[in-house]
Amino acid sequence: MKSLLTSLAIFTAISGFSQLSEDLIPKQAVSVFSLNNINLLQKISLDDLVKYEFMEEVQQELFDGSTRGKTIKDLGINFDQKLNVFNGIGENYEVTGLTFGVDDRNKLFDIFDDYTPMKSNYPGVDFYISYFNRIAISGNIGILYRVTPNIEIVDKITDSIWYARGNEYPFYNYWDDYDYRYDDEEYIEYEGEEYYEEEEIEYLEEEEYNLTDEMEIEENTSAPKLFDEMPEATDDPNTKNYYELRDSIDMVLQELYLVEFSNELFINQNNLIKNAPDFRKQLSHDTEGIFYTDNSRNFGENSAFYKMKRYYPQLFTDIKELYTGNIMMGDLKIENEAIVLDLDVKYGEKLGSIYQKLTDTKFDKNVLKYIPENNSGFFTYNVNLREAYEQSLNVIKPILENESNRNISANLLALEIFDEFVNKDALFDTYKGSMFGVYSGIRKVKTEKLIFDYDEETFDYTEEWVESMEDMPIFTLGFSTDRNDIPSNIMKRLSKMTDKFQNKGDYWLIEDGMFNSVPMYLIMQNNLFIVTNDEDLAVNNAKGYGSASLSKSKAKFAQKSGVMYAYSDLGKAIETLPRELFSQQENEMLDVLRGKSGKVTLTSSATTKASTAFKLNYNFNGDFTNSGTYILDLINSLYVLSK
Amino acid sequence: MTLFLSLTSCIEIIDDLSISGDGSGTFKYHINLSSSKIKINSILALDSLDGKKVPSIAEIQSRADKIVKQLKEQNGITNVVFDANYTDFIFKVTCDFNNLNQLQSAIVNVIKSESKEKEMPELNHTWVSFSQNTLKRSVPQITIKKAQSINKNDSDLLKQGSYTSITRFEKEIERIENENANLSKNKKAVMIRTDPYSLTQNPHLLDNMIYLVKTTN
Repeated sequence: MKSLLTSLAIFTAISGFSQLSEDLIPKQAVSVFSLNNINLLQKISLDDLVKYEFMEEVQQELFDGSTRGKTIKDLGINFDQKLNVFNGIGENYEVTGLTFGVDDRNKLFDIFDDYTPMKSNYPGVDFYISYFNRIAISGNIGILYRVTPNIEIVDKITDSIWYARGNEYPFYNYWDDYDYRYDDEEYIEYEGEEYYEEEEIEYLEEEEYNLTDEMEIEENTSAPKLFDEMPEATDDPNTKNYYELRDSIDMVLQELYLVEFSNELFINQNNLIKNAPDFRKQLSHDTEGIFYTDNSRNFGENSAFYKMKRYYPQLFTDIKELYTGNIMMGDLKIENEAIVLDLDVKYGEKLGSIYQKLTDTKFDKNVLKYIPENNSGFFTYNVNLREAYEQSLNVIKPILENESNRNISANLLALEIFDEFVNKDALFDTYKGSMFGVYSGIRKVKTEKLIFDYDEETFDYTEEWVESMEDMPIFTLGFSTDRNDIPSNIMKRLSKMTDKFQNKGDYWLIEDGMFNSVPMYLIMQNNLFIVTNDEDLAVNNAKGYGSASLSKSKAKFAQKSGVMYAYSDLGKAIETLPRELFSQQENEMLDVLRGKSGKVTLTSSATTKASTAFKLNYNFNGDFTNSGTYILDLINSLYVLSK
Repeated sequence: MTLFLSLTSCIEIIDDLSISGDGSGTFKYHINLSSSKIKINSILALDSLDGKKVPSIAEIQSRADKIVKQLKEQNGITNVVFDANYTDFIFKVTCDFNNLNQLQSAIVNVIKSESKEKEMPELNHTWVSFSQNTLKRSVPQITIKKAQSINKNDSDLLKQGSYTSITRFEKEIERIENENANLSKNKKAVMIRTDPYSLTQNPHLLDNMIYLVKTTN
């Protein structure tokens, strides 16, 4: 009877609990995009949906043809419920996925046709499996998720068992014979131990050995990213080699963590709402969607900080404390053919004090003279580097003083010597921190190319250099300064050493200064130090654009904004931006914006010790066809940025 | 280097083969990217592009030097000269060969040594042969395979480039089979020009049979 009552109690608890899709957002979630009004998405085709980067975690085995010609409406999800996409980090594992309301299970699994039902140990919860992905449905709420064990833990256990079994070092290591110190600046040393940056090692591995062809490194296989040769398979098929052992451990850990994850979510009902009051409060906002990221947990759990955690534990703890309370929360709204994201960045007191000092400055009106009205996009950034430096020193010095490690002490000593002996007035008057940038689109610029001139008699050829035109993105970057005399003096001296630096009166010309091919210009006027490849700006407008500069109505938005203001005419800017100038991550973000028109502005409030507010306005000016697409664009941008 | 070739709009390639009466000769191969140097420099400024690591100039230089060193070590290959201009991105390789078989073997050996692929049946293809006053030329199958692997977006860029193939002899040429080929006024050289994209679409575009004037003793 007792067990029956217990079971009933659990069942009742679970049935009563899972009524809203947000209730299944796990406590490990660090970033959440929650769409309140998913009716907007109904018309979007599933094939278009899976092109978004934020869907990559869940789409691999799912949308394999079963999505063709279908829209989100055909998914069988409940459009009265929120759709929540999350990305989470736990102490031992990472978890990604989404939660949603279920309207029609048959429709759902027509699309998710790779999933098969599996045994459930949780009353009232049905589980479905497809490789490493799971779908759990509790009542009318579903969660699609993947749990991935922390790679450091998998490696540690594998190594421990491998060596305990009497095995030797499992790899032939080419790099044993290689002295990294002469090869790359990324070489670092920790307390006598030598390391190579992981990214570099991965590159070397792929370039030199093409190991990716020889070993499985797909996300699902858990094959480790090592720079060693693949160990030979053992003669005895009953004995696992290193990688087989590692895969087994990965599998076992995944099962363990899946149970841990399920217990926490379905038995203890320990979800993000219970653990994050800010998130709970934000969910109640009457908006189209919300965005939430807990940077403090991102910092603490992210494997990128593993080395700091391991080698400087005290420093790690202290720095982590700095980030306590660093949370980003955004509201997504649709207002008259525009999507607006109101983003509030909250800080803990110490970090907030640095940001407050950083933004304790007035807008430099001089920059407005150098932003033309017909620009494709521009930004202004107002900071007080001197104040921020002093405040950072006040905050960070005590942290470093607590650390007993000799490297940290050496760094602290260097910092103190710098602080005492460097002329900070000259430094921070020269580089004050405030800056602006303008993108003026693509222009043809003069360059030279080699051509071959053929003799018709013999087809012998001679070489000839001729003038050529190439497309060049035109950028301007300017910095506020009170000491233009310093860079000016530097240029004077440099011009005596080489004729590449030429004084042209109002500006300096650096021959082949950009990409070793075209001139670059330096303008030192109006308390601004400007670097540009815009010949028109340097030659004709070195003292400012005058009446052709940014109109007063537009300028006032920039002036009133706090730490930063940005504007971009997507139709003019995004299409012309050359892919080559951006990283893969930036291109992923730009890709979804390509082909669309509209204007994007970003404004910010004054920064207090507690927070800074940002407002992103994405106005699509009458080109409104499906606001859902624009919402997904924004979500994707936020996802890529938060990765 | 493939990364740059596939992303460069104005690539100019010249292959220039001179053959003496005894079958020996000189081979020149020029790659001219000077009209795209801004684009190449902007790519070089990146860490990675489309998921591929972008090599530094030093890495490209090191790889090129290694290839040239290997070429110098091949049988029947002499006077190897490599002229690389990393400012304007112009690369020229010139070498002398004892006979065409040795030239082909040398190129095959270098490709095999540098390639990550274990099996490359394309390398067994004979792309140039000379006997009884007749020279047969085609595009090496390995080149066709590589060119066809370039994706469509990149291929479109190749349309703007040019590929020039020149074959020279000491003796005069009697006739040529490829209708697109031009004969020099002195009748001792044949030239075919196309663009790299057309070559990927029609690998036989440069195929040619060149018949020399038979000399009577």
